Order: sequence, then structure tokens, then C-alpha cells
Amino acid sequence: MLGWLAVAAAGLWAFVGSERAASRQTGSDRIVVTYWEKWTGDEKRSMQRVVDAFNASQDRIEVRMLSISGIAEKTLLATSGGNPPDVAGLWADQVVQFADAGALEDLTDLAREFGISKSDYIENYWKMVVYKGRLYALPTTPGCNALYVNRALMPPEYDSPEEFPQTLSEFDRFVDRVSRRGPDGRLKTVAFLPRDGWGLWGMPYLFGGGFVQDGKIDVNGPDDVKAWTWVHSFAVRFGVRETQAFRSGFGNYSSPQNPFLSGKLAAYSDGPWFGNFIRLYNPKVDWFAVPMPHPDGRPDLAGYTWLNLNTLMIPRGAKHKREAFGFIAFVQRQPVMERLCMDQWCNTPLARVSREFLERHPNKAIALFDRLARGRRAVRPVQMGIAGQIGSEVGNAVDRMDLGEAAPQQALDEAQKRLEDLWDRYRRQVLGQ
Amino acid sequence: MRPRREQWIGVLFAMPWILGFLVFLAYPLVSSFYYSFTSFSVLRKPIWIGLENYREMLGDEVFRLSLKNTLAFTAGSVPLATVAAILLALLLNTSVRGMALYRTIFYVPSLVPMVALGVLWLWVFNSQYGLLNETLRRLGLPDPAWLSDPAWAKWTLVIISIWGTGNAMVIYLAGLQDVPQSLYEAAEMDGARWWGKARHVTLPMISPVILFNVVMGIIGTLQTFALPYVMFPGGQPARSTYFFSMYLYDNAFLYQRMGYASAMGWVMFLITLALTLLALKVSAKHVHYEG
Amino acid sequence: MTRRTRENLRQAATHAALLLLAIVFLAPLLWMVSTAVKPLDQTMVSPPVWIPDRPQWENFWKALSYNADELGYVPFLVYGRNTLYVTVLAVIGSVVSNTLVAYSFARLRWRGRDLLFGVTLATMMVPGPVLMVPTYVLFREFGWIGTFRPLWVPAFFGGAFNIFLLRQFLKTIPMELSEAARIDGASEWQTFLRVIVPLARPVLTVVALFTFMWAWNDFMGPLLYLTDQHTFTLSMGLQFFQSQHTGTPWNLLMAASLIVVLPVILVFLFAQRVFIQGIATTGIKG
Repeated sequence: MLGWLAVAAAGLWAFVGSERAASRQTGSDRIVVTYWEKWTGDEKRSMQRVVDAFNASQDRIEVRMLSISGIAEKTLLATSGGNPPDVAGLWADQVVQFADAGALEDLTDLAREFGISKSDYIENYWKMVVYKGRLYALPTTPGCNALYVNRALMPPEYDSPEEFPQTLSEFDRFVDRVSRRGPDGRLKTVAFLPRDGWGLWGMPYLFGGGFVQDGKIDVNGPDDVKAWTWVHSFAVRFGVRETQAFRSGFGNYSSPQNPFLSGKLAAYSDGPWFGNFIRLYNPKVDWFAVPMPHPDGRPDLAGYTWLNLNTLMIPRGAKHKREAFGFIAFVQRQPVMERLCMDQWCNTPLARVSREFLERHPNKAIALFDRLARGRRAVRPVQMGIAGQIGSEVGNAVDRMDLGEAAPQQALDEAQKRLEDLWDRYRRQVLGQ
Repeated sequence: MRPRREQWIGVLFAMPWILGFLVFLAYPLVSSFYYSFTSFSVLRKPIWIGLENYREMLGDEVFRLSLKNTLAFTAGSVPLATVAAILLALLLNTSVRGMALYRTIFYVPSLVPMVALGVLWLWVFNSQYGLLNETLRRLGLPDPAWLSDPAWAKWTLVIISIWGTGNAMVIYLAGLQDVPQSLYEAAEMDGARWWGKARHVTLPMISPVILFNVVMGIIGTLQTFALPYVMFPGGQPARSTYFFSMYLYDNAFLYQRMGYASAMGWVMFLITLALTLLALKVSAKHVHYEG
Repeated sequence: MTRRTRENLRQAATHAALLLLAIVFLAPLLWMVSTAVKPLDQTMVSPPVWIPDRPQWENFWKALSYNADELGYVPFLVYGRNTLYVTVLAVIGSVVSNTLVAYSFARLRWRGRDLLFGVTLATMMVPGPVLMVPTYVLFREFGWIGTFRPLWVPAFFGGAFNIFLLRQFLKTIPMELSEAARIDGASEWQTFLRVIVPLARPVLTVVALFTFMWAWNDFMGPLLYLTDQHTFTLSMGLQFFQSQHTGTPWNLLMAASLIVVLPVILVFLFAQRVFIQGIATTGIKG
């Protein structure tokens, strides 16, 4: 008898608790704006400060931020299901796909009303949130990549930014010189691995190629093949299986076992935020930052950097669109934005940058990142509805190259063919062209 | 009048299922058939496109690949898991001490939720630090790169499904306990040893159970989703673990192509039907029902 | 070799085989426990460490309270509560509805009964994915996405597998019992409730257990239908843990997984005998 009573009590507790959890409006007499964000840890705390400041600055709206993993997928699912958050902290990469699917609210008019315009932002970043002339997102923290180099692992000829290799052939020599094996013959330190690190998706651009040309898919042009062949050459150089085994031993990104922080990789491509992870997990690492090298004889291709932009979007069907935008506009203010970017060790997406920002920024290489982001050779992700599929197909092609299943040209040709079909179908069915 | 009253009451008692069947089975089945002829991203209205989805499927290599992966996986895991379950049940059917403990040990794996399993086995199969490769290396055997080598990735899932065969094992155990002792004794008197008894008495007597488990196994394995979803996002490496239901899910919810996903669903249905009928047909000769 | 010796040898061989297999089967689970109490840097070592120098039992608490700050209280407790809620409702719905329907198929005679039963059997061959999209759209129309309803409401409308199990069993109860009750003036409902249901207890337990395990471990349903993190179930909570933006805390993840597995193991241990007995009586075999 007592057993059944306990079960009934547990059931009641579960019922009440869970049903309340399903309602978003609990515990507040203000309008509750739900905000899903991808960040955890320090990065989340920096945004939480902004949220708290916004909530304290007025008494009509309360923003509640939740940390979500797999946020793009979950937001799409929730939007499809008719129950989206009011604000979603996705990446600019999602703008085109979501807009084409009808999953985003158009923010153009609201932006105009709140006095936000194109001239407030670095042009490269602005172009990432505008699609077909309409505004679909606004920036939070941006990024761009450069090469972090561990000075302690460098021989004298490479141990400063001025002396570090600037062309690819010098870089290849650098890789051979600095990589070494341990006494057991297994790889101990590798100078650089193009599949690890961030911002290396744009490899084709580094070589002058790309993914799209004039609105048409182009992943298998001669520069693209050169690019991926160069990426593939690393697996060949060290042995495919060995590289795989070496890589599977890498620890968590945000831990002392991070491959760069534990000395397994001597050079690592990442954004300005990585400086913070170095500080948190292994501050003893003596590092400097340099831009990625460029192909020999092509100084016009120098200054490559892959741009990244965290954004705030309003999913279609959000219940509190205006209030949500009120919060988004708050984040765009220069003092708020600069504080947020500094806290996350990022550069700023705004056109104007204060002197304090550059001088007091915790990342000592911030000037480099800022310069690269504003540069002509900064690369934006592909603005095409099937960008995700482009990523999977090319990724699959690279996998196959590494495994020796197909030669680079062939693997890319097959990816090209598939993508052309997909794009064709997408244009017909989704865009109605 | 009794027959009419019984008619009424019969339908009444069956009403939950009748409603459920109509709302959660018949209606979705018919809708999904309709959607398969449309281009449908749930945030917009469906647009009729006729046979376009089916035509696309024929030329879609990822579709073929995911189908091949799924069929290969089913062909590998169902027989092996069945044999494992039967063997375990046979072993447990003897009067060993600690039978209850053993039974629990072999059954527990099938209780572990898929997500926890995925996580655990990702760890066990890690090529540098994982338990399995460490053991293999200790024994002097080769240590494949389970998770990053396309030739081996599917085998990880097969191994996990054998490990989780507790459910089927318990059902076989129950079936074995029903086999009359007299048949065993008769066989022994004819000079049969362990294997002979198994082949001529045990297996035929539990053949209906085998059929049931194999059919359910095929139907279930063709739909495999949670484990590969957790362990191998994107079907890596090189799409070797990209299964049919994952491609269907990606099409429906990632690429927002619900029409195409519905067409894929129907193809899966037809294949499941065909394989089930095949299994029933093949079994007709071998399954022995108690008269 | 005498018969006795052969018998003993066979016993010994069986024991040995069982022991070996048991070790192999248990190893991953033991590994899970071992990893759960290690500090993070000890998880990534070769050769692997089975017993860490100082077992970090606090990992269990850390895992339970991961991300506690934003949910206000312990997330895994929240996930557990949600899972309990959905599972209990699913079990109740499943037992009640399936028994009613199976009773109708097994013990009442009406036109269309056998046809419907045949169709019911056939539906077991319909794979989930083919229904996934329209069911999703259906729940969207109802406005149920983001709530728990898609996870337990369908359980109140029966399921082919359980109907089949129960029907097979109910058919084995002699009709004379129902006849006797009828002669005594009982209505069909009373016969059902007072006479038949008590006899069906073992099978009902089996149905309840199967439903419990299925609902507790369900991943796809919560993935599709639950949108807010506060409403996640344990399997979603685990996956959320695993797919963290900045990398997985393996030791905490193992600890969390153990916590998720525990209730099901306990339920099974508790109900083991009834469970197996129940399966034996369902006539799956026949």
C-alpha cells in the first residue's frame, strides 16, 4: 500500500514539475523572451552579463538564455514544429538555408526602425547577414583565423612572426623540419595538420579557388584540386593510419590535452578566442600569431582568413518578435558589443573600433586579427541554400582521398556532379526557378 | 439479442486501437504516400511534383549507399545476434549454479539506453586509448581503427548489437524451457550427443521462436537510428555508417525535404515487407509448429 | 569415458564458457564505472588505467549538476523527472488500452474482428520512419510540439505488438470462466475486470516492463518533439552532454550514463522472475 502511495506521489511531482517546465512563461510577470545560445562556460558567462544588463535596464521584457547543443538542428526542428525560441544564437552560416526554408523573420524593417544600418558594420560581416537584399540576422561575436605558433617548439629560424614562413613551399619545409617522432617510432609532434584547427574550410580560397563561381557550383577547378591535394599531402607524408591514430589521441579542445596546448601540434589555426583557452588551460605556452601562408608567386592571395560570425536571429513564428529585436538591438550598441567581444577574446564586427578596445584587449595579437577581418582576402562562407551539403560532399571527398579510395581530382569531380544535381533540384523545388 | 450486443461491445472494447490505428497509422501512412509526390518543407505548403522524388532516388548515390549500408548491416547483425542469443540461451538452459546472476549479466546490456551505449562504445573502440584495442594489442592481435576506418566502422555496430542481444536471449530461454524432456530422452536413447540433440530436438522445437525473433530483428535493424546518430554523426567515416533512417531524418529535418523523405519511407516499407515475406516463405519448410 | 565423467566435463565446459562470456559482457560496463570515477586526464592514457589512484566519486554529483546554474536546479534530476512523467503515463496508457483491445480480440466475437486482427499483425511490419514525417506534421497541427503529449498520448491508443502478446495469452483462458460469470449475472465489463484481468497479471507485467524500458530509453521521440532543454528526458540529456560545443567531459559523461542506466537495471532485477515467467506464458513461441 505504501509502495503505491509513493509511486502516486512521485507521479504527481513529476506531472506538476514537468508540465510547468513545458511552459515558458513561468515565474515572471514581464514578457519572457526565450533566447537559445550555443555557448557554454566562459563564453556563456560573457553573454549572460549582457542579458542581465538588458533585463536590468528596463522592466517590460525579461530575456532568458539557455545553453543548447546542436543548436542549428534543434532550432530548425523547433521552428518546423511551430514552437521556436524568440531569439536563436546561430551562426551566419545558417542565414541562407534558413531564409530559403522560410524559417527566419525578416529583420529589415525593424533594423531601420531601431536605427541600425550597414555603415555600422565591417562590410565583410554585414554581407554575411544580408541575403537577397533583406536582413535576417545581426552580429554578436565575430571571428577570423590566423596561425598560433608555439615558440618553444620552433628552431631559431622560425621563432618569430617576421621569420615565420610566408609562402607554401617555405611552410612545407617548416612542416618537415619541426615534426618529429618519439623513441617508439610513433608521431610525437606534428608541425601542423590541416584537418585540425579552425578556419581551414576555406582552403580552396587560399589557393585562389572556391566552392561557387557566379552562382554555380565549382568545387573541382584546378585551384581547388591543388588546395585539397595539399591538405591530403599531410596524411600521405605521415602515413594515413598513423595520422588517424595520432589524431584520435587528441584531448578535448577546452582542456590541457588540447593538441596545441599539449605540444602535439606546433602550429594551430584558430580564431582570436583561442588565446583565452590558452590562458585557461596552459598559460605557460609561449606563442605568437601569424597569417596563413600564401602560394608561391601569388602575393595577391596573401591575407587569407576565414570569417566566422555568431549572430542573433529571430525564427519564424517566434511569439515575441518585437521584444526579441529590442534585445538584439541592445547587443549592437558599441560599448555593449565591444565589452562582449573583449570578454570572449574576439575581434569586433563593428566598423568603428575604440582605441581602448585595441589597447586593452586581452589577446596580444588582436591587431592582426582585426586587420585580417577587414581585409580584401577575408573569405565568407558560401551563401547558398545547400551550403551544408556542399560541406558534407567536399568533406566526404576529402575523407575518401585520405583513405586512398579516390584520387583528389576524381573525388572532387564526383562531389561536383552530385552537388550540381542537388543545386539544380534545390533551385527548382525550393526557389521555384 | 446477444450477437448484436456482442458486436457492439466488441467494437467498444477495441475502440482505443481502432482510433489509434486510424489516427496514428492509417492517416500518416496515407499522408506519407501523398507527401512522397510533393516537395514539402514543413514551413511552406506542399507542392505537387509527381514522380520526381522517386526518379531522384533512382539516381541518388547517397540513397543507394545508405540502402547498401543498411542491408549489409542487417545481413551482418541479425544472423550473428541470433546465433549469439541462441547459444547463450542453450548455455543458460543447463542447470548451472548462479544461473540467475548470469542471466542478469547477459540481459543488462539490452537495458542500457542507446545514447549511453553510443557514448560507452565510442570510448571502448577508441583506437588509441580504448579498451578493445588495448586488449587486442595485449594479445598480439591487430588493432584496427574501428571508428575511423570505413572497413571497420559498421562492425562496431554489429558487435554492439551482439552484445545487446539479451532481449532475444530471454525469449529463447523461455522457449527452451518449454521443450519436453521426453524428447531429449528419446534422442539420447538413439545415441544422440549434445550437438545431435540440439539439431534434432531443440532447434526444431524452438523454430517458431526463432522465426519470430528473426522477423522482429530484421524489421528493427532496418530502422536503426539512435546508435549511429550518436556515435557517427554524418555517417562518418566516409559515409560507411550512413544508414537509411539517418538519411531519411537528414532529408526531412536538416534539408527540409519532407516530400523526398516520405518517398524514402515508402521504399523502406516495401523493402521491409519484401524481406518479411521472404523470411516467412523460407521458414515455411523449416519451422515446426506444435500440432 | 563414463557417462558421469562426460556429464561432469560438460558441466565444467559450460561453466567455463559462461564465465568467459560473462567477463566479456561485463567488461564494457565495468569500464564505464572505472572511467566514471577518474579525473579527466587519466581517461586518456595508454595503457589504460582500470583503478585510478584516487577514485573521484564526486564525479557523479558533478555530472548530475552539470549546467545547473541555468536550469536553477540539478539538470539530471530535471531530466529524470521528465522521463519518469512520460514513462509512467506511457505504461499506464499501454497497459489499460492494450488489455481492453486484446480482450476484444480474444474473447468477444464480432464481425470484422479477425480481419482487424490480421491488419494489426500486418502493421508490425510498418517501419517507424515512414510514419515519422506525417506524424510530426500531425502533432504540429495539434500544437503539441514542445509539449510532452506526443510521447504518451499514443500509448493510450494501443500498440500492435502488445495487443498481439496479450491476445495470445487471453485466448488460453478457458471460455467456461467467462460463461460462468455471465450466468452469474455479471456484465461484460465486470467479467473483464474481475475475472480475466487478475488472471492476466504476469502478461500485464511483461507489457508494463516492455513499455517502461522502451519509454525510458526512447531517443527519437524526445529528439523530435521536445524543444526546450527544461523538458528533455534522460536520453536527450545525455546526448546534450555529449555534443557540447567545446568537447566532451568523458568521465562525467560515463558517470551520467551510469545514473541513467541504473533505474532500468533496478526495475529489471526487481521484476526478473515475473518477467521471464510472463514471457513464457504469452505464447510468443506458438
